[in-house]
Amino acid sequence: MEVTEDARGRPPGVLRRLIRSPSGAIGLVIVAGLVFCAAFADLLAPHNPMRMGTGGRFLPPGGEFLLGTDEFGRDVLSRILYGSRITLMIGAVAVGISLTVGMLIGMIAALQRGFVEALLMRSTDVLFSFTETLIALSFVAVLGPSLQNAVIAVGVAGIPFYARTCYAAALVETSRPYFEASISAGAGPARLVLVHLLPNVLPTMIVVATLGVSTAILAAAGLSFLGLGAQPPTSEWGYMLAGSRDYINRAPWLMTIPGLAIALTVLGFNLLGDGLRTSLDPAARS
Amino acid sequence: MSALLSVRDLSVRLGATPLVEGLAFDLHEGEVLSIVGESGSGKSMTAKALMGLLPPKVRAEGRALFGDVDLLAPGVDPPRGTGIGLIFQEPMTALTPVLSVGLQLTEALSSHKICSRAEAVQRAVTMLDRVGIPNPRARMEQYPHELSGGMRQRVVIAMMMLLGPRILIADEPTTALDVTVQAQILDLLRALVSETRIGLILITHDMGVVAETADTVLVMQSGRSVEYGAAKTVFSTPKAEYTRALLSAVPRIDASRTEAPPEHRGVILSARGITKTFPGRTASQGRGERALDDVSLELYRGETLAIVGESGSGKTTLGRVIARLTDPEQGRVMMDGVDLTASRGRDLRRVRRRVQMVFQDPYASLNPRQTVGQTIAEPLVIGGGLGRAERQADVRTLLEKIGRRAEMARRYPHEFSGGQRQRIAIARALAAGPDIIVADEPTSALDVSVQSRILDLLKALKESEGLTLLFISHDLAVVRQIADRVAVMRAGRILELGPSADVFAAPRHPYTKALMAAAPIPDPTRTRGARPPLPGSYPSGALAEVVPGHFVASDPIDRPSPAARLTV
Amino acid sequence: MSPGAIWPRAAPDGAPTMWRFLGTRIAMGALTIWITTILVTLLIHAVPGDPVQIMYAQSQGTTPEQIEEVRRSLGLDRPIPVQYVMFLERLLQGDLGTTIRGGQPVLDVILQRLPNTLMLACAAMFIAILIGVPIGFLAAYREGSLVDIGLMMIAIAGISMPHFWLGLMLLFFFALELGWLPVSGNGPLNLILPALTLGLSNAAIFARLTRSSMIDVMGQDFVQTAYAKGLPKGLVLRRHVLRAGLLPVVTMMGLQFAFMMGGAIVVENIFSWNGVGRMAVEAIFQRDYPIIQGFILTFSVVVVVVAIAIDALYAVLDPRIRRS
Repeated sequence: MEVTEDARGRPPGVLRRLIRSPSGAIGLVIVAGLVFCAAFADLLAPHNPMRMGTGGRFLPPGGEFLLGTDEFGRDVLSRILYGSRITLMIGAVAVGISLTVGMLIGMIAALQRGFVEALLMRSTDVLFSFTETLIALSFVAVLGPSLQNAVIAVGVAGIPFYARTCYAAALVETSRPYFEASISAGAGPARLVLVHLLPNVLPTMIVVATLGVSTAILAAAGLSFLGLGAQPPTSEWGYMLAGSRDYINRAPWLMTIPGLAIALTVLGFNLLGDGLRTSLDPAARS
Repeated sequence: MSALLSVRDLSVRLGATPLVEGLAFDLHEGEVLSIVGESGSGKSMTAKALMGLLPPKVRAEGRALFGDVDLLAPGVDPPRGTGIGLIFQEPMTALTPVLSVGLQLTEALSSHKICSRAEAVQRAVTMLDRVGIPNPRARMEQYPHELSGGMRQRVVIAMMMLLGPRILIADEPTTALDVTVQAQILDLLRALVSETRIGLILITHDMGVVAETADTVLVMQSGRSVEYGAAKTVFSTPKAEYTRALLSAVPRIDASRTEAPPEHRGVILSARGITKTFPGRTASQGRGERALDDVSLELYRGETLAIVGESGSGKTTLGRVIARLTDPEQGRVMMDGVDLTASRGRDLRRVRRRVQMVFQDPYASLNPRQTVGQTIAEPLVIGGGLGRAERQADVRTLLEKIGRRAEMARRYPHEFSGGQRQRIAIARALAAGPDIIVADEPTSALDVSVQSRILDLLKALKESEGLTLLFISHDLAVVRQIADRVAVMRAGRILELGPSADVFAAPRHPYTKALMAAAPIPDPTRTRGARPPLPGSYPSGALAEVVPGHFVASDPIDRPSPAARLTV
Repeated sequence: MSPGAIWPRAAPDGAPTMWRFLGTRIAMGALTIWITTILVTLLIHAVPGDPVQIMYAQSQGTTPEQIEEVRRSLGLDRPIPVQYVMFLERLLQGDLGTTIRGGQPVLDVILQRLPNTLMLACAAMFIAILIGVPIGFLAAYREGSLVDIGLMMIAIAGISMPHFWLGLMLLFFFALELGWLPVSGNGPLNLILPALTLGLSNAAIFARLTRSSMIDVMGQDFVQTAYAKGLPKGLVLRRHVLRAGLLPVVTMMGLQFAFMMGGAIVVENIFSWNGVGRMAVEAIFQRDYPIIQGFILTFSVVVVVVAIAIDALYAVLDPRIRRS
């Protein structure tokens, strides 16, 4: 067993390991860039994203409108920058819903065993085999098309996957000797969950959630693309892409740019998740 | 007589890190050479280097003359299979799960164009018969998962022997097997060597296995050869300091114990009629094989009771029932008048602190996200009533008790070796202030030298803290060293229970006898007679007292022995 | 479908037989479909407001009497359990109701389009496996090399690419710029672009899956044993590595097919491919709930049937399940 430690004897920093892995580093840069754009969209955007006809319709990229203008003469760059806020919000809220509910279900099932476990996990299995797309679509069908409903739909659709993953991870931890030693020492449920279960399940769930942001963004953009999510005049990327279809010959940049923005964002979270997986993996540590 | 294989200056490197350095040995026809060492000594790398199967980025240098071929010369492909065969440790994973046994046996014969397809099948059947597999023709159609571990290892041996190699390398071939199966496999390997005059390189960590099989021994420590010579000489007059230390650390089943057993100080815990069946394991076995089948025993205050048995005997389940980590279907565990099995909730959380466990796997025994100090302090925190400073003081005391310094408390488990972690786990168990410690194979994952130190620590703590120890192990030699009384278990039943000295000196139950005979003894000069065979059926009814304090399952309810299925 | 059970452990004595294995899967599938029927009945009631009002909000001149009539014909004036029994009764007779717009039987509308969607999903699956598996195998074989890193970079980019965007770009280049393929329609040539869109994005998933499974297998003792027998590399890879390594990929195929069906909803809309996905999205806009109900039910039946078929295939391929 090799001794790996820094001066304070703590496990080597996750962040440092993350930066050292190529995918983690690239992912971190992309995600950081996205967060920066979203935070400072007001300052960065050269124009009002909603204002029409500032300089003419279908202006190609270059010149005053760096990324061109759309069918209403709105500045594409500004719309993309403001769109990053929406995208991040979608990712955060949807994953927040899936993660919170999923972890709750997974951990309760792993700790309770017996009937509760069977009930929770069997229903999760059934929902899982529905596939996320169908769950999301059904939700939107019921609630009606809107960005808010699309985000809720995507978040709910993700619950079965998060629950299953958390359940599997929690089951591993609860069967480990250290967990049983704590039971033997007379630990109550709160201590078992907060001191032993949560800290050891969390790394797995952080990775899943990071990768899940990608899935959520893609799914919500897909709904918006179909017209079931964001409604005009929102500068949501999937919605922008949907609008581009009618002008695909005349203004191909209306298609390329939002698509590229989505792909880059999703790539960023995917790479970050991959990087986190290796840097949080306790097996890779020893 | 010229050597079959002559190795000189063998070095293996991973980048610039040496894994093996300057190894030299000769292997002759009909010789068993044992390469022995603890984990990380480079013994497995040596085998892989000779086979040309090193992992990527690992390079070997030196000379290894096999006939007039240098196996290590660049561009040389070792005559794998036909010249040198290799057997791995884990028989459960050494056969491809999706291919039939017959195909895996014959494919190399066809591929090397040794004989026709039809003859290959004939040869394979003959070889399966030779390695002691009953009904070989039917086995050819079977898949690996349908065979037991011992059976699979025989198939792998047959697979290699079929190709007519001059050398066989066996890398820990019996480590994953039960001791009775190990004895059979070692016997088989020896017989094959004397019949076919092949050279066998037996890689092992077990001095007992070395003594039972080897003609020549090469002792390795951190990649270097520290001693090389005839087995008898190495065991009788070891030259290297390391060899001496290794030999003295090896527990011996034939050792005599000087300590007198503790006087009878009353029953501290009694288990009555414990029965436990695990779901899903019973379908094809009629009435079902129970993990525990109506087991009763008493634990005396201050003693060390060892439960010994092979895999599937139910020994671990019994320990877990006593620590109440597993609930039995039937039976009760009473401790000082309190029924542990009936306790619930807050009550249970209080009483269970009196029985603490030490687990087998030191790497999973500690929460990786807690410091050592937090781990040891946890039972104190749960117990309540102590201030922060008092707890810290207690943790320091506990660390001293396990022979470690207080600074250790601020560190994380991943910084420590298996032996160190096991010490920490012991300190945590002590922190709850228990009366009984259940130690489930606490040294099985450790090297011999570490094992003996952990055993010493347990013994010392038992005395100084006035503990009662329930020691669960598959290793008879370790049990001999630590136990006052022994319970022998098989298939969920206790077959023999008595004072350690009596049971080891004069085992009564046929299974106990077979188990004792199978345990390897680290002494090459000892000639052992024919081993008593594993009984096909044996008494496994209620325990009857044959001598005061010595119980044997004598009720002649003959059961078909699981041996027929598990071993062969 | 359990992606967790990638490497089923060796069966202990009395492990489930092949039939018990399949029986469990079929029971789970039946349970899924049964729960779908309940959810589908409840769906209308989950709609905020009066579903009938909403359904007809877009049609002009509907009288309150007509609305009441629709309510009665849908059984919405009865208690929910009664509605469910009515729904089941009709369902067992193959009656999924009639569409709000046009008044056609929902089953006919769906059956008319379902073959198109299945064709698209199967073609896409074929493309995904044909491209993904060899790439994954190659990357695993050259693990750690530049080839591996390059292929995996492409794969992660492929996973990150929204398939609706990929579809638009393919449409732009192959149909509009180059004029090689038709923009929309339902001929065999029209299948190429949507199948390619769906297939390519899933090929990346297959590539990653295959790679990790193969790397896992290549590190196993049995592969080393095969080499130790002196078998040539090609034979070891073909017989030992590939056969064992493809099993986990097979187990994931059911789930992948479900993804394909989900992806088809979007892709059909891009290429105006006349399948059930496009139908469903139109129905959501038009609030045509009978169609939506029918679609959800059809979708889950297809996914369940395919999953059971794949499980059966797996049970036959894996001797640990076939022979126990």
